[in-house]
Amino acid sequence: MGELVAFECDTATDVVCQPPTVNELFELPTLFSIGDVEITRQIAYFFLATLVVAAILYFGLRKPKAVPGKFQLIVEELVAFVRDGIAKDIIGPEGTKYVPYLLSIFLFILVGNFFEITPFINYPITSRMAIPALLAIMTYLIFVFMGFRKNGLSYLTGIIWPKSVPVAMRPLVGIIEFFSTFAIRPLTLAVRLFANLVAGHVMLSLLLVTGFTYLFVQPFDFTFNPLWGVLWFLLGIAIFVFEMVVAFLQAYIFTLLSAVYIESSLHPEH
Amino acid sequence: MLLSQQLIAASEEASGTDLILPATSELIGGLIAFTIVGLIVWRFALPQIQKALDERQAAIVGKMQDAEQTKQAAEKLKSDYEAQIAGAKSEAAQIVEQARHQAETMKADIVARAQDEAAAIADRAKADIEAQRASVISGMRSEVASLSVDMAQKVVAGTVDRGAQQALVEQYLSELGGVNN
Repeated sequence: MGELVAFECDTATDVVCQPPTVNELFELPTLFSIGDVEITRQIAYFFLATLVVAAILYFGLRKPKAVPGKFQLIVEELVAFVRDGIAKDIIGPEGTKYVPYLLSIFLFILVGNFFEITPFINYPITSRMAIPALLAIMTYLIFVFMGFRKNGLSYLTGIIWPKSVPVAMRPLVGIIEFFSTFAIRPLTLAVRLFANLVAGHVMLSLLLVTGFTYLFVQPFDFTFNPLWGVLWFLLGIAIFVFEMVVAFLQAYIFTLLSAVYIESSLHPEH
Repeated sequence: MLLSQQLIAASEEASGTDLILPATSELIGGLIAFTIVGLIVWRFALPQIQKALDERQAAIVGKMQDAEQTKQAAEKLKSDYEAQIAGAKSEAAQIVEQARHQAETMKADIVARAQDEAAAIADRAKADIEAQRASVISGMRSEVASLSVDMAQKVVAGTVDRGAQQALVEQYLSELGGVNN
């Protein structure tokens, strides 16, 4: 683990400071170790996200009433959003089977993303590749498995030799489709979420830390101007609001695309 | 530390692969964390929501049945009232009819009685008149006879005795009565 390198610089001498790497923003201290496995704060945050999801579901649904209270209504709306707006809309009536999975990834990613702007956490767990990769692999396994289970080998042949395009085009389109389905889809699914949250976290960190530095930390050799600090800080706040939208949108997109991929495996002719 | 060493260290650290390649411990941690979420959603959240939906459906169906029952009861009550009103109406009509009939009967009675009474009065009057007439006639007859006797006495004074004269007038008058009658 690197310390905040900038503070190690001896500004009195002429030594070039070692620039902090981007990893500085994403590596958090190890809390404790189980054998060789280091349990870092990120991993603790993963379980915190689980706890938050569990708490939302528990307090929203522990005593479900025919006439719901406000909190139950919000939770029900969230569930209905995934069940009706994603699973049934995209996959169709069979989509009901996938609601547990889709709802789980939606809530887990949503809460994980919102950690980015949660005070005292300020760290989206989805900015660690482990989470997007894990969920993308799960989606990948589900849609490939369901594709073969529902359509047998014709799932594969339908992708490699697509009947809907002219014969001359089939080898080319087949190769593109094959790579798109089996290699690109999981990669883009994971990277889209990961990159969005990394970018958001970097942006917020830079803006807010810069604002903080201008306002409260003595500068090295540039003119100290609190106004810059205020401006950086305001920009940080604006991005903060923007990141709320991103947090929701990325959870939605990931869930939606998972549903789309499952649907395209179940009905490859579309 | 020499600058070159520092840069090498920095470039190694900043390779970015740390950021992109997930650490095994995080993968395992993430898998466990997500599995718990999945279990909670699958075993708790969705069944609870289903329960709420079922309860809601039961409540709505129950309320609709209640409403249906209330509606039926109200309709029955309404038809009862309507039947009662119709009964009352026909009863009233019957009463009116009876009253009219009674009135008609009474009217006929009264008229008949009045007519009888009038007839009786008329008869009585007629009888009275007849009696009076008879008495007047008899009175007159005796008066006329007496007058005639007096007159004849005056005319033929002494020739005929009073008894004979009386008999003569009586005869004359009975002849006169036979002619009149």
